[in-house]
Amino acid sequence: MLKYLFAKNEDIPTGTAAVFFGFSSIVWFVIGTGLGSFNAAKLAFPDFVMGNEFLAFGHLRQVHVHAVIFGWISMAFAMAMMYITPALGNTKLWSEKLGVWNCFLWNVGLSLGLTVLWAGITSGREYSDFPWFIDLYIALFIAIPLSLNVWMTVITRRTQGIYTTNWFFVGACFMLIIVFLIGNLPEFFHLTGLTEAYLTWWFAHNVLGLWITPVAAAIAYYTIPKVTGNPLYSHRIGHLHFWSVVVFYSTPAAHHLMSAPLPEWLKSFASVEGVLILVPAVAFVSNILLTMQGKWNMFVENLEIRFTITGCLLAIPLNMQGGFQQTRAINWYVHGTGWIVAHAHLALLGFSTFLEGAAVYLGLQTLMKRKLYSLTLGNVHFWLLLIGFAIYWISMTIAGLIQGAGKIYEVPYIDVVIAEHPYMIARWIGGTMVFISNVVWLYNMWMTAREGTVVPAGRMPHELAYER
Amino acid sequence: MSWVFSNPLVTLSDSEKNERDKALWEAEDLGGITEDNNRVPVPVVALVFLTVLTAFAITFPLWGQRPTAAIYVDYVKTLNSPEVQAIQDDAVAMQKIVDANKGSAQASQIERHPVSLDDLRILAPQIEALQKNGADLREYTVVGPQVVLSNYEGNKKADGTRERFQPWWDIGYTIDIFYLLAFFLGATIVIKRLPPSSWEPTHKHDH
Repeated sequence: MLKYLFAKNEDIPTGTAAVFFGFSSIVWFVIGTGLGSFNAAKLAFPDFVMGNEFLAFGHLRQVHVHAVIFGWISMAFAMAMMYITPALGNTKLWSEKLGVWNCFLWNVGLSLGLTVLWAGITSGREYSDFPWFIDLYIALFIAIPLSLNVWMTVITRRTQGIYTTNWFFVGACFMLIIVFLIGNLPEFFHLTGLTEAYLTWWFAHNVLGLWITPVAAAIAYYTIPKVTGNPLYSHRIGHLHFWSVVVFYSTPAAHHLMSAPLPEWLKSFASVEGVLILVPAVAFVSNILLTMQGKWNMFVENLEIRFTITGCLLAIPLNMQGGFQQTRAINWYVHGTGWIVAHAHLALLGFSTFLEGAAVYLGLQTLMKRKLYSLTLGNVHFWLLLIGFAIYWISMTIAGLIQGAGKIYEVPYIDVVIAEHPYMIARWIGGTMVFISNVVWLYNMWMTAREGTVVPAGRMPHELAYER
Repeated sequence: MSWVFSNPLVTLSDSEKNERDKALWEAEDLGGITEDNNRVPVPVVALVFLTVLTAFAITFPLWGQRPTAAIYVDYVKTLNSPEVQAIQDDAVAMQKIVDANKGSAQASQIERHPVSLDDLRILAPQIEALQKNGADLREYTVVGPQVVLSNYEGNKKADGTRERFQPWWDIGYTIDIFYLLAFFLGATIVIKRLPPSSWEPTHKHDH
């Protein structure tokens, strides 16, 4: 990477930034899920690794969360944007050099940010735990350069139309900057009390709703038509998806605080909007599944399609849960329990991870012009990831229901801890399977770079048969 | 393009441009991908409408809210009765209170928000004090063992203070109806005024 930082833009091979982002994202995924597995072990076995504050759950939990969100998910998004945006515009990335610098500064900043969190320097606000100087760094050296590259690539495209995926990329970059700067206002101006609580959850809700969800969906809008060869089923359903994300996803932040003394009218408003999040979900899932018409065999035969469709199918329980768990009647029961932890992992490890995993598989093979080294390892990755995630999700959902019952019926806390112990062990097993799957993935992609069969010019990797 | 205000649901593009756009849509290859523009399938339309109806139905303002102090008034009365005061065992006393109020107008609310005798003993003097001051108990919510003024702010009353009782139509709920209407109306007009959005290009070839 270092040699490209000071090279001329035209001397940097096409796709360099995307490849760096792709490998960085997998490495951060390994680190993030490794920390997740470690943290889960501490919850399952409370005596595991004692005596060192830097290995305490309280120090490591937010490092896990931010490594996964800003390392794995967002860097995989950056990879997808730097690969897909120019591809859809029949052009090159606006600035490969800016992309390489963006990737370099992203890795440096994230390492710094996670070190700071690890040391216990934190805003103390969930999901926006980074202190103010890291927030500014992220805005200036991560979000804005990425957005600039995406926007300029779309502006300098060589097509007249703009494909659905690129509307989402352009819009999500814009929304990310807004969400990041406004959502962190309590950090910049020391806002406290309910204002701080509301903005904390405004940030957390919208970083999911206006960044992670739309970008993951945009990737599916590219992967499915590209690999199956089918046209996207419907441009106008894409419109319904895009605009309903903007309108319905941006407003329900207060539904994270249904028991807080916020104005009741704000909670009512947020709660209706929370259910209406199902509108973009219905549009997205139907558009993708209908695009698959006549090509369902690829769900079995093709790894990228399998990842994408699995992520798309996981959007159904995700949005059913998300839509209804925030209503007053249900939130009363599940709020503050493991149910919510399960739901968050369904969003980030289920829906989103499977969609961007497909993009990284497809993008790295295409850009490196190498066929995937081993389908067998790819299958091991897929099934370990899916089964590990499912064990995690199901066990935490059950644990959450137990905690909810304990909360409502005022069962002594220690009795609830004992009751959910088996599910904490299951959570650790599931999380560890996810971690192992990612180590396998990293090895497979590394070997693809080194020994994958060369894809002939003018061909796509998925057009070649798997060899191992 | 020229602005036409007499017919708001017709595209602003002229027919020549519309034809160019249609031809472009059929021919243009966006990085090896093409887009069809099939109609939204009827079951999907039905699902969207069902979602909107469900959103409003399930979040109906009177459901799932905190209990108001008003629902415990009968319990407080029964608590202070000589029969209950004479009972030594708390569990028996609470059962007596519950039995005495079965079938009351507040039964369904009480069922959703059960209270222990210990909490009721703490709530009772707070509720009685409010009653003595002539307060509308519907304007007070019970949060744990505390009776507090509801944080809902409705219309102004004659004395200049705000109504604190949440009516069935609720401000947030009403705003949502207008918000949704504005979205669908705005989106419909914008889409109809853009170049032909209902054109269904044919992309039979694979890429």
